[in-house]
Amino acid sequence: MARLQLHDLQLARGGQTILEHLDGRFMDGAITALIGANGAGKSTLISAIMGMLSPVAGRVECRVTRERRAWLPQQLALDLTFPMSVEELIMTGTWPSHGALKGYCGPHYRRGREIMARLGISNLAHRPLGELSGGQRQRALLGRTLMQDAELLLLDEPFANVDTETVDVLMDVLRDMAKHGATIIVVLHDMEQLARLADEALLLAGGHGRWVKPDVLLDHHSGLVPRAPRLPLTFPDAPHAGTA
Amino acid sequence: MLALLDAWLIAPFDYGFMQRALVAGLALSLAAPPLGVFLMLRGMSLIGDAMAHAILPGVALGFLAAGFSLPMMSLGGILSGLLIAVLAGSVSQMTGHKEDSAMASFFLISLAAGVMLVSLGGSSVDLTHVLFGSILAVDPTALVLIAGISSLIVIILAVIFRTLVVECLDPLFLRGQGVRGGLVHGIFLGLVVLNLTAGFQTLGTLMAVGLMMLPATTARFWSQRLEGLIAIAIAIALVASTGGLLISYHLSLPSGPAIILLAGAGYLLSALFGRHHSLAARLRRRAMPLGTAEHH
Repeated sequence: MARLQLHDLQLARGGQTILEHLDGRFMDGAITALIGANGAGKSTLISAIMGMLSPVAGRVECRVTRERRAWLPQQLALDLTFPMSVEELIMTGTWPSHGALKGYCGPHYRRGREIMARLGISNLAHRPLGELSGGQRQRALLGRTLMQDAELLLLDEPFANVDTETVDVLMDVLRDMAKHGATIIVVLHDMEQLARLADEALLLAGGHGRWVKPDVLLDHHSGLVPRAPRLPLTFPDAPHAGTA
Repeated sequence: MLALLDAWLIAPFDYGFMQRALVAGLALSLAAPPLGVFLMLRGMSLIGDAMAHAILPGVALGFLAAGFSLPMMSLGGILSGLLIAVLAGSVSQMTGHKEDSAMASFFLISLAAGVMLVSLGGSSVDLTHVLFGSILAVDPTALVLIAGISSLIVIILAVIFRTLVVECLDPLFLRGQGVRGGLVHGIFLGLVVLNLTAGFQTLGTLMAVGLMMLPATTARFWSQRLEGLIAIAIAIALVASTGGLLISYHLSLPSGPAIILLAGAGYLLSALFGRHHSLAARLRRRAMPLGTAEHH
Protein backbone atom coordinates (compact mmCIF):
# COMPACT_ATOMS: atom_id res chain seq x y z
CA MET A 1 0.00 0.00 0.00
CA ALA A 2 1.13 3.50 -0.71
CA ARG A 3 -0.78 6.52 0.53
CA LEU A 4 1.53 8.80 -1.39
CA GLN A 5 2.15 8.43 -5.10
CA LEU A 6 3.60 10.63 -7.79
CA HIS A 7 2.19 10.46 -11.29
CA ASP A 8 4.33 11.89 -14.11
CA LEU A 9 4.89 14.95 -11.97
CA GLN A 10 6.32 18.17 -13.38
CA LEU A 11 7.19 21.00 -11.02
CA ALA A 12 8.34 24.54 -11.74
CA ARG A 13 9.42 27.54 -9.75
CA GLY A 14 9.33 31.03 -11.24
CA GLY A 15 8.54 29.66 -14.70
CA GLN A 16 11.54 27.35 -14.69
CA THR A 17 11.03 23.61 -14.66
CA ILE A 18 12.79 22.03 -11.69
CA LEU A 19 11.63 18.43 -11.94
CA GLU A 20 9.84 16.45 -14.62
CA HIS A 21 8.50 12.97 -15.34
CA LEU A 22 8.63 12.03 -11.71
CA ASP A 23 6.81 8.78 -10.95
CA GLY A 24 6.70 6.42 -8.06
CA ARG A 25 5.23 5.52 -4.72
CA PHE A 26 6.40 6.17 -1.20
CA MET A 27 5.70 2.95 0.72
CA ASP A 28 3.67 3.08 3.93
CA GLY A 29 5.69 2.19 6.98
CA ALA A 30 8.95 2.91 5.20
CA ILE A 31 11.51 5.65 5.49
CA THR A 32 12.47 7.15 2.14
CA ALA A 33 15.56 9.30 1.84
CA LEU A 34 15.43 12.21 -0.56
CA ILE A 35 18.89 13.02 -1.83
CA GLY A 36 20.42 15.34 -4.37
CA ALA A 37 22.62 18.37 -4.65
CA ASN A 38 21.53 21.85 -3.63
CA GLY A 39 19.00 23.08 -6.16
CA ALA A 40 18.13 19.57 -7.35
CA GLY A 41 14.51 20.13 -6.31
CA LYS A 42 14.22 18.48 -2.90
CA SER A 43 12.43 21.41 -1.27
CA THR A 44 10.30 21.91 -4.36
CA LEU A 45 9.15 18.31 -4.21
CA ILE A 46 8.38 18.63 -0.50
CA SER A 47 6.31 21.77 -1.13
CA ALA A 48 4.35 19.92 -3.79
CA ILE A 49 3.73 16.94 -1.50
CA MET A 50 2.55 19.30 1.26
CA GLY A 51 0.12 20.80 -1.25
CA MET A 52 1.72 24.22 -1.18
CA LEU A 53 2.90 24.16 -4.79
CA SER A 54 0.66 23.14 -7.68
CA PRO A 55 2.24 20.87 -10.28
CA VAL A 56 2.63 22.11 -13.86
CA ALA A 57 1.69 18.65 -15.07
CA GLY A 58 0.96 15.28 -13.53
CA ARG A 59 -0.20 14.99 -9.94
CA VAL A 60 0.59 14.09 -6.39
CA GLU A 61 -1.85 11.52 -5.09
CA CYS A 62 -1.93 11.75 -1.32
CA ARG A 63 -4.45 9.86 0.74
CA VAL A 64 -3.47 11.43 4.02
CA THR A 65 -5.68 14.20 5.37
CA ARG A 66 -4.06 17.60 5.67
CA GLU A 67 -4.02 17.47 9.47
CA ARG A 68 -2.05 14.21 9.55
CA ARG A 69 0.73 15.54 7.34
CA ALA A 70 3.65 17.01 9.20
CA TRP A 71 6.56 18.97 7.87
CA LEU A 72 9.71 19.66 9.84
CA PRO A 73 11.47 22.35 7.85
CA GLN A 74 15.01 23.42 8.55
CA GLN A 75 15.08 25.10 11.91
CA LEU A 76 15.24 28.70 10.77
CA ALA A 77 11.51 28.78 10.05
CA LEU A 78 10.59 29.20 13.73
CA ASP A 79 10.34 32.52 15.53
CA LEU A 80 12.39 31.56 18.56
CA THR A 81 11.95 34.87 20.32
CA PHE A 82 8.29 34.06 20.83
CA PRO A 83 7.76 33.11 24.47
CA MET A 84 6.61 29.50 24.32
CA SER A 85 7.73 26.52 26.35
CA VAL A 86 8.59 23.05 25.09
CA GLU A 87 5.40 21.60 26.58
CA GLU A 88 3.25 24.31 24.97
CA LEU A 89 4.86 23.62 21.60
CA ILE A 90 4.18 19.91 21.87
CA MET A 91 0.57 20.55 22.91
CA THR A 92 -0.04 22.54 19.72
CA GLY A 93 0.36 19.17 17.99
CA THR A 94 -3.20 18.44 19.16
CA TRP A 95 -4.46 20.82 16.45
CA PRO A 96 -6.05 18.07 14.29
CA SER A 97 -8.33 17.00 17.15
CA HIS A 98 -8.61 20.25 19.10
CA GLY A 99 -8.39 23.04 16.55
CA ALA A 100 -8.39 26.62 17.73
CA LEU A 101 -10.87 26.40 20.57
CA LYS A 102 -11.16 23.04 22.35
CA GLY A 103 -9.43 22.94 25.72
CA TYR A 104 -6.72 20.38 26.51
CA CYS A 105 -7.64 17.86 29.20
CA GLY A 106 -5.83 15.40 31.46
CA PRO A 107 -5.22 12.57 29.00
CA HIS A 108 -3.71 14.95 26.44
CA TYR A 109 -1.31 16.44 28.96
CA ARG A 110 -0.39 12.88 30.00
CA ARG A 111 0.26 12.01 26.39
CA GLY A 112 2.41 15.12 26.06
CA ARG A 113 4.47 14.08 29.08
CA GLU A 114 4.91 10.56 27.70
CA ILE A 115 6.17 11.99 24.43
CA MET A 116 8.62 14.27 26.22
CA ALA A 117 9.87 11.33 28.29
CA ARG A 118 10.40 9.26 25.17
CA LEU A 119 12.40 12.03 23.55
CA GLY A 120 14.38 12.60 26.73
CA ILE A 121 13.24 16.20 27.19
CA SER A 122 11.01 15.87 30.28
CA ASN A 123 13.34 18.13 32.23
CA LEU A 124 12.95 20.84 29.61
CA ALA A 125 9.12 20.96 29.67
CA HIS A 126 8.90 24.54 30.90
CA ARG A 127 12.02 25.87 29.21
CA PRO A 128 11.42 28.60 26.58
CA LEU A 129 12.17 27.45 23.03
CA GLY A 130 14.71 30.23 22.58
CA GLU A 131 16.96 28.70 25.23
CA LEU A 132 17.19 25.23 23.69
CA SER A 133 20.15 23.82 21.81
CA GLY A 134 19.67 22.74 18.21
CA GLY A 135 19.27 19.11 19.25
CA GLN A 136 16.80 19.84 22.03
CA ARG A 137 14.73 21.97 19.67
CA GLN A 138 14.66 19.23 17.08
CA ARG A 139 13.44 16.74 19.71
CA ALA A 140 10.69 19.16 20.74
CA LEU A 141 9.59 19.60 17.13
CA LEU A 142 9.49 15.85 16.56
CA GLY A 143 7.43 15.69 19.75
CA ARG A 144 4.84 17.91 18.15
CA THR A 145 4.53 15.61 15.14
CA LEU A 146 4.12 12.64 17.50
CA MET A 147 1.30 14.53 19.23
CA GLN A 148 -0.18 15.15 15.81
CA ASP A 149 -0.26 11.38 15.08
CA ALA A 150 1.29 12.21 11.75
CA GLU A 151 0.74 9.60 9.04
CA LEU A 152 2.97 11.41 6.59
CA LEU A 153 6.10 13.04 7.91
CA LEU A 154 8.54 15.12 5.86
CA LEU A 155 11.81 16.14 7.44
CA ASP A 156 14.28 18.55 5.87
CA GLU A 157 17.79 17.71 7.05
CA PRO A 158 16.65 16.88 10.57
CA PHE A 159 20.13 15.93 11.75
CA ALA A 160 21.97 19.09 10.73
CA ASN A 161 23.59 20.83 13.70
CA VAL A 162 22.36 18.13 16.06
CA ASP A 163 24.44 16.20 18.60
CA THR A 164 25.00 12.46 18.03
CA GLU A 165 22.91 11.43 21.03
CA THR A 166 19.96 13.35 19.63
CA VAL A 167 20.52 11.76 16.22
CA ASP A 168 20.20 8.32 17.88
CA VAL A 169 17.03 9.30 19.73
CA LEU A 170 15.45 10.87 16.63
CA MET A 171 16.32 7.86 14.47
CA ASP A 172 14.81 5.48 17.04
CA VAL A 173 11.60 7.46 17.17
CA LEU A 174 11.39 7.71 13.38
CA ARG A 175 11.94 3.94 13.03
CA ASP A 176 9.19 3.39 15.56
CA MET A 177 6.80 5.70 13.76
CA ALA A 178 7.49 3.86 10.50
CA LYS A 179 6.88 0.53 12.25
CA HIS A 180 3.45 1.84 13.20
CA GLY A 181 2.71 2.56 9.57
CA ALA A 182 3.74 6.17 9.03
CA THR A 183 5.15 7.22 5.68
CA ILE A 184 8.37 9.11 6.31
CA ILE A 185 10.44 11.15 3.88
CA VAL A 186 13.78 12.55 4.98
CA VAL A 187 16.07 14.92 3.12
CA LEU A 188 19.58 13.70 3.86
CA HIS A 189 23.09 14.64 2.87
CA ASP A 190 25.02 12.26 5.06
CA MET A 191 25.47 8.83 3.45
CA GLU A 192 26.17 7.16 6.76
CA GLN A 193 22.89 8.40 8.19
CA LEU A 194 21.19 7.27 5.01
CA ALA A 195 22.61 3.78 5.42
CA ARG A 196 21.39 3.63 9.01
CA LEU A 197 17.93 5.02 8.50
CA ALA A 198 16.51 4.69 5.02
CA ASP A 199 14.61 1.78 3.49
CA GLU A 200 14.50 3.43 0.11
CA ALA A 201 16.02 6.42 -1.58
CA LEU A 202 14.86 8.84 -4.24
CA LEU A 203 17.75 10.52 -6.01
CA LEU A 204 17.10 13.86 -7.64
CA ALA A 205 19.51 15.21 -10.24
CA GLY A 206 19.30 17.03 -13.55
CA GLY A 207 15.56 17.52 -13.25
CA HIS A 208 14.82 13.83 -12.94
CA GLY A 209 14.37 11.39 -10.13
CA ARG A 210 15.40 7.80 -9.71
CA TRP A 211 14.41 5.28 -7.07
CA VAL A 212 17.20 3.17 -5.63
CA LYS A 213 17.80 0.90 -2.69
CA PRO A 214 20.10 2.60 -0.21
CA ASP A 215 22.68 -0.17 -0.46
CA VAL A 216 23.25 0.78 -4.11
CA LEU A 217 24.71 3.98 -2.78
CA LEU A 218 27.14 2.07 -0.57
CA ASP A 219 30.39 0.55 -1.61
CA HIS A 220 29.50 -3.03 -2.53
CA HIS A 221 32.93 -4.51 -2.09
CA SER A 222 33.23 -3.59 1.52
CA GLY A 223 29.57 -2.96 2.35
CA LEU A 224 30.74 0.28 3.84
CA VAL A 225 29.85 3.82 3.10
CA PRO A 226 32.04 5.25 0.34
CA ARG A 227 34.48 7.57 1.99
CA ALA A 228 33.63 10.63 -0.03
CA PRO A 229 30.19 10.35 -1.62
CA ARG A 230 30.06 12.83 -4.44
CA LEU A 231 26.94 14.81 -5.15
CA PRO A 232 25.35 15.44 -7.53
CA LEU A 233 25.26 11.77 -8.29
CA THR A 234 25.19 10.87 -11.93
CA PHE A 235 22.93 8.04 -12.88
CA PRO A 236 24.58 4.99 -14.40
CA ASP A 237 22.55 3.31 -17.15
CA ALA A 238 21.62 0.51 -14.85
CA PRO A 239 21.41 0.94 -11.11
CA HIS A 240 24.04 -1.73 -10.49
CA ALA A 241 26.48 -0.79 -13.24
CA GLY A 242 28.82 0.94 -10.87
CA THR A 243 29.12 -1.99 -8.51
CA ALA A 244 30.70 -4.56 -10.81
CA MET B 1 -4.77 59.03 57.65
CA LEU B 2 -7.83 57.25 56.33
CA ALA B 3 -9.44 60.59 55.66
CA LEU B 4 -6.42 61.65 53.67
CA LEU B 5 -6.46 58.46 51.60
CA ASP B 6 -10.14 58.95 51.02
CA ALA B 7 -9.57 62.52 49.85
CA TRP B 8 -6.78 61.44 47.53
CA LEU B 9 -8.05 58.21 46.08
CA ILE B 10 -11.80 57.87 46.59
CA ALA B 11 -13.36 61.32 46.78
CA PRO B 12 -12.42 62.39 43.23
CA PHE B 13 -14.64 59.63 41.93
CA ASP B 14 -17.72 61.14 43.52
CA TYR B 15 -18.06 63.18 40.36
CA GLY B 16 -19.97 61.61 37.50
CA PHE B 17 -17.41 62.65 34.88
CA MET B 18 -14.60 61.07 36.91
CA GLN B 19 -16.57 57.84 37.31
CA ARG B 20 -17.18 57.61 33.59
CA ALA B 21 -13.56 58.43 32.85
CA LEU B 22 -12.45 55.71 35.25
CA VAL B 23 -14.72 53.07 33.73
CA ALA B 24 -13.63 54.04 30.21
CA GLY B 25 -9.97 53.88 31.21
CA LEU B 26 -10.37 50.49 32.89
CA ALA B 27 -12.25 49.05 29.90
CA LEU B 28 -9.50 50.18 27.54
CA SER B 29 -6.88 48.84 29.93
CA LEU B 30 -8.35 45.35 29.63
CA ALA B 31 -8.50 45.34 25.83
CA ALA B 32 -5.46 47.29 24.65
CA PRO B 33 -2.45 45.68 26.41
CA PRO B 34 -2.92 42.12 25.06
CA LEU B 35 -2.97 43.54 21.53
CA GLY B 36 0.18 45.49 22.36
CA VAL B 37 1.89 42.32 23.60
CA PHE B 38 1.23 40.54 20.31
CA LEU B 39 2.32 43.57 18.25
CA MET B 40 5.54 43.74 20.27
CA LEU B 41 6.24 40.00 19.94
CA ARG B 42 5.78 40.20 16.18
CA GLY B 43 8.23 43.10 15.93
CA MET B 44 5.40 45.42 14.89
CA SER B 45 5.52 47.84 17.81
CA LEU B 46 5.33 50.86 15.51
CA ILE B 47 2.37 49.57 13.50
CA GLY B 48 0.01 50.72 16.26
CA ASP B 49 1.31 54.23 15.83
CA ALA B 50 0.89 54.06 12.09
CA MET B 51 -2.66 52.72 12.47
CA ALA B 52 -3.50 55.60 14.79
CA HIS B 53 -2.76 58.02 11.96
CA ALA B 54 -4.78 55.92 9.58
CA ILE B 55 -8.04 56.28 11.50
CA LEU B 56 -7.78 60.07 11.54
CA PRO B 57 -9.32 60.92 8.13
CA GLY B 58 -12.33 58.72 8.89
CA VAL B 59 -12.79 60.32 12.28
CA ALA B 60 -12.59 63.75 10.63
CA LEU B 61 -15.15 62.79 7.98
CA GLY B 62 -17.50 61.51 10.67
CA PHE B 63 -17.00 64.79 12.50
CA LEU B 64 -17.77 66.81 9.36
CA ALA B 65 -20.87 64.76 8.59
CA ALA B 66 -22.46 64.57 12.02
CA GLY B 67 -20.62 66.96 14.31
CA PHE B 68 -19.35 65.68 17.61
CA SER B 69 -21.05 62.29 17.44
CA LEU B 70 -18.84 59.55 18.80
CA PRO B 71 -20.60 56.66 16.99
CA MET B 72 -20.23 58.39 13.62
CA MET B 73 -16.61 59.33 14.25
CA SER B 74 -15.80 55.81 15.43
CA LEU B 75 -17.44 54.26 12.40
CA GLY B 76 -15.45 56.57 10.14
CA GLY B 77 -12.26 55.73 12.01
CA ILE B 78 -12.78 51.98 11.75
CA LEU B 79 -13.52 52.19 8.04
CA SER B 80 -10.56 54.39 7.14
CA GLY B 81 -8.19 52.38 9.38
CA LEU B 82 -9.16 49.12 7.69
CA LEU B 83 -9.14 50.69 4.22
CA ILE B 84 -5.65 52.06 4.65
CA ALA B 85 -4.30 48.81 6.12
CA VAL B 86 -5.64 46.96 3.06
CA LEU B 87 -4.33 49.64 0.68
CA ALA B 88 -0.85 49.56 2.22
CA GLY B 89 -0.84 45.77 2.02
CA SER B 90 -1.85 45.69 -1.63
CA VAL B 91 0.53 48.45 -2.73
CA SER B 92 3.44 46.61 -1.13
CA GLN B 93 2.31 43.36 -2.75
CA MET B 94 1.93 45.03 -6.14
CA THR B 95 5.23 46.92 -6.12
CA GLY B 96 7.30 44.44 -4.15
CA HIS B 97 8.35 47.23 -1.78
CA LYS B 98 8.52 46.37 1.89
CA GLU B 99 5.20 46.73 3.67
CA ASP B 100 6.51 49.25 6.19
CA SER B 101 7.47 51.75 3.50
CA ALA B 102 3.99 51.55 1.95
CA MET B 103 2.43 51.87 5.39
CA ALA B 104 4.59 54.86 6.30
CA SER B 105 3.54 56.63 3.11
CA PHE B 106 -0.15 55.98 3.62
CA PHE B 107 -0.13 56.96 7.25
CA LEU B 108 1.55 60.28 6.58
CA ILE B 109 -0.99 60.99 3.86
CA SER B 110 -3.81 60.11 6.24
CA LEU B 111 -2.47 62.30 9.01
CA ALA B 112 -2.31 65.31 6.70
CA ALA B 113 -5.71 64.55 5.19
CA GLY B 114 -7.25 64.14 8.63
CA VAL B 115 -5.87 67.41 9.98
CA MET B 116 -6.97 69.19 6.81
CA LEU B 117 -10.51 67.78 7.06
CA VAL B 118 -10.92 68.71 10.71
CA SER B 119 -9.69 72.24 10.07
CA LEU B 120 -12.18 72.62 7.21
CA GLY B 121 -15.12 71.99 9.46
CA GLY B 122 -14.16 73.21 12.88
CA SER B 123 -11.94 75.23 15.12
CA SER B 124 -8.53 74.34 16.52
CA VAL B 125 -10.25 73.27 19.74
CA ASP B 126 -11.97 70.46 17.83
CA LEU B 127 -8.67 69.48 16.29
CA THR B 128 -7.04 69.28 19.71
CA HIS B 129 -9.90 67.16 20.93
CA VAL B 130 -9.58 64.65 18.09
CA LEU B 131 -5.80 64.50 18.26
CA PHE B 132 -5.43 64.37 22.02
CA GLY B 133 -8.85 63.34 23.32
CA SER B 134 -10.50 64.29 26.54
CA ILE B 135 -11.27 61.47 28.89
CA LEU B 136 -13.12 63.79 31.24
CA ALA B 137 -15.71 64.55 28.55
CA VAL B 138 -16.84 60.93 28.13
CA ASP B 139 -20.63 60.92 28.10
CA PRO B 140 -22.82 57.86 28.77
CA THR B 141 -23.20 57.07 25.06
CA ALA B 142 -19.45 57.18 24.57
CA LEU B 143 -18.99 55.01 27.63
CA VAL B 144 -21.32 52.33 26.28
CA LEU B 145 -19.48 52.42 22.97
CA ILE B 146 -16.05 52.16 24.59
CA ALA B 147 -17.12 49.34 26.92
CA GLY B 148 -18.85 47.54 24.05
CA ILE B 149 -15.85 47.72 21.73
CA SER B 150 -13.46 46.67 24.51
CA SER B 151 -15.61 43.64 25.36
CA LEU B 152 -15.81 42.69 21.71
CA ILE B 153 -12.02 42.89 21.40
CA VAL B 154 -11.47 40.69 24.47
CA ILE B 155 -13.95 38.09 23.22
CA ILE B 156 -12.58 37.93 19.66
CA LEU B 157 -9.02 37.80 20.96
CA ALA B 158 -9.95 34.86 23.20
CA VAL B 159 -11.44 33.05 20.21
CA ILE B 160 -8.42 33.52 17.93
CA PHE B 161 -5.84 33.28 20.75
CA ARG B 162 -4.43 29.82 20.04
CA THR B 163 -4.42 30.40 16.30
CA LEU B 164 -2.63 33.71 16.74
CA VAL B 165 0.00 32.16 19.01
CA VAL B 166 0.72 29.32 16.58
CA GLU B 167 0.76 31.76 13.67
CA CYS B 168 3.34 33.93 15.42
CA LEU B 169 5.56 30.98 16.28
CA ASP B 170 5.30 28.77 13.22
CA PRO B 171 3.14 30.03 10.34
CA LEU B 172 4.14 27.03 8.25
CA PHE B 173 2.63 24.58 10.73
CA LEU B 174 -0.65 26.47 10.70
CA ARG B 175 -0.67 26.49 6.91
CA GLY B 176 -0.08 22.74 6.95
CA GLN B 177 -3.18 22.40 9.11
CA GLY B 178 -5.21 24.20 6.47
CA VAL B 179 -5.64 27.47 8.36
CA ARG B 180 -5.06 30.69 6.44
CA GLY B 181 -2.56 32.63 8.51
CA GLY B 182 -3.24 35.85 6.58
CA LEU B 183 -6.85 35.78 7.73
CA VAL B 184 -5.84 35.56 11.39
CA HIS B 185 -3.36 38.37 10.89
CA GLY B 186 -6.05 40.50 9.22
CA ILE B 187 -8.52 39.92 12.06
CA PHE B 188 -5.82 40.86 14.54
CA LEU B 189 -5.05 44.13 12.73
CA GLY B 190 -8.79 44.79 12.65
CA LEU B 191 -8.85 44.47 16.44
CA VAL B 192 -5.99 46.97 16.69
CA VAL B 193 -7.97 49.47 14.59
CA LEU B 194 -11.11 48.84 16.70
CA ASN B 195 -9.18 49.43 19.88
CA LEU B 196 -7.67 52.68 18.65
CA THR B 197 -11.11 53.89 17.63
CA ALA B 198 -12.42 53.14 21.10
CA GLY B 199 -9.43 54.91 22.59
CA PHE B 200 -9.44 58.14 20.65
CA GLN B 201 -12.32 59.69 22.56
CA THR B 202 -10.48 59.31 25.82
CA LEU B 203 -6.83 59.66 24.86
CA GLY B 204 -6.94 61.03 21.35
CA THR B 205 -5.99 59.21 18.15
CA LEU B 206 -2.28 59.60 18.75
CA MET B 207 -2.06 58.76 22.44
CA ALA B 208 -4.44 55.80 22.35
CA VAL B 209 -1.43 53.82 21.14
CA GLY B 210 0.32 54.56 24.41
CA LEU B 211 -2.05 52.49 26.49
CA MET B 212 -1.51 49.63 24.03
CA MET B 213 2.28 49.63 23.63
CA LEU B 214 3.78 51.01 26.84
CA PRO B 215 2.31 48.37 29.20
CA ALA B 216 3.39 45.66 26.76
CA THR B 217 6.96 46.88 26.39
CA THR B 218 7.17 47.36 30.16
CA ALA B 219 5.92 43.84 30.86
CA ARG B 220 8.82 42.45 28.87
CA PHE B 221 11.14 43.46 31.71
CA TRP B 222 9.12 41.36 34.16
CA SER B 223 8.07 38.17 32.43
CA GLN B 224 9.21 35.80 29.72
CA ARG B 225 5.95 33.89 29.42
CA LEU B 226 3.06 34.92 27.23
CA GLU B 227 0.44 34.68 29.98
CA GLY B 228 2.74 36.59 32.32
CA LEU B 229 3.34 39.31 29.75
CA ILE B 230 -0.37 39.79 29.14
CA ALA B 231 -1.32 39.75 32.84
CA ILE B 232 1.43 42.21 33.81
CA ALA B 233 0.66 44.50 30.87
CA ILE B 234 -3.03 44.64 31.86
CA ALA B 235 -2.12 45.34 35.50
CA ILE B 236 0.20 48.17 34.46
CA ALA B 237 -2.47 49.69 32.22
CA LEU B 238 -5.07 49.51 35.00
CA VAL B 239 -2.75 51.24 37.46
CA ALA B 240 -1.64 53.84 34.91
CA SER B 241 -5.14 54.81 33.85
CA THR B 242 -6.46 55.07 37.44
CA GLY B 243 -3.32 56.80 38.71
CA GLY B 244 -3.16 59.14 35.73
CA LEU B 245 -6.75 60.24 36.29
CA LEU B 246 -6.05 60.97 39.96
CA ILE B 247 -2.90 62.91 39.17
CA SER B 248 -4.69 64.95 36.54
CA TYR B 249 -7.52 65.65 39.01
CA HIS B 250 -5.32 66.75 41.89
CA LEU B 251 -2.73 68.69 39.92
CA SER B 252 -5.11 70.07 37.27
CA LEU B 253 -3.14 68.43 34.46
CA PRO B 254 -4.54 67.11 31.17
CA SER B 255 -5.70 63.54 31.80
CA GLY B 256 -4.52 61.78 28.61
CA PRO B 257 -0.85 62.76 28.89
CA ALA B 258 -0.94 62.08 32.64
CA ILE B 259 -2.05 58.48 32.01
CA ILE B 260 0.51 57.84 29.29
CA LEU B 261 3.32 59.54 31.18
CA LEU B 262 2.58 57.42 34.24
CA ALA B 263 2.84 54.29 32.06
CA GLY B 264 6.03 55.78 30.59
CA ALA B 265 7.51 56.22 34.06
CA GLY B 266 6.74 52.56 34.68
CA TYR B 267 8.62 51.67 31.50
CA LEU B 268 11.72 53.65 32.47
CA LEU B 269 11.78 52.24 36.00
CA SER B 270 11.39 48.71 34.64
CA ALA B 271 14.20 49.27 32.16
CA LEU B 272 16.39 50.08 35.13
CA PHE B 273 15.20 47.60 37.73
CA GLY B 274 13.13 44.89 35.96
CA ARG B 275 13.75 41.17 36.34
CA HIS B 276 14.81 40.44 32.77
CA HIS B 277 17.11 42.34 30.41
CA SER B 278 17.08 45.47 32.58
CA LEU B 279 20.17 47.34 33.64
CA ALA B 280 19.98 45.84 37.13
CA ALA B 281 19.54 42.32 35.73
CA ARG B 282 22.59 42.82 33.55
CA LEU B 283 24.68 43.89 36.52
CA ARG B 284 23.38 40.97 38.57
CA ARG B 285 24.32 38.55 35.84
CA ARG B 286 27.80 39.95 35.58
CA ALA B 287 28.24 39.52 39.34
CA MET B 288 27.08 35.92 39.27
CA PRO B 289 29.91 33.38 39.63
CA LEU B 290 30.42 30.81 36.91
CA GLY B 291 28.28 27.70 37.16
CA THR B 292 25.27 29.21 38.89
CA ALA B 293 22.30 28.78 36.65
CA GLU B 294 20.02 31.72 36.17
CA HIS B 295 16.45 30.90 37.15
CA HIS B 296 13.51 31.97 35.13
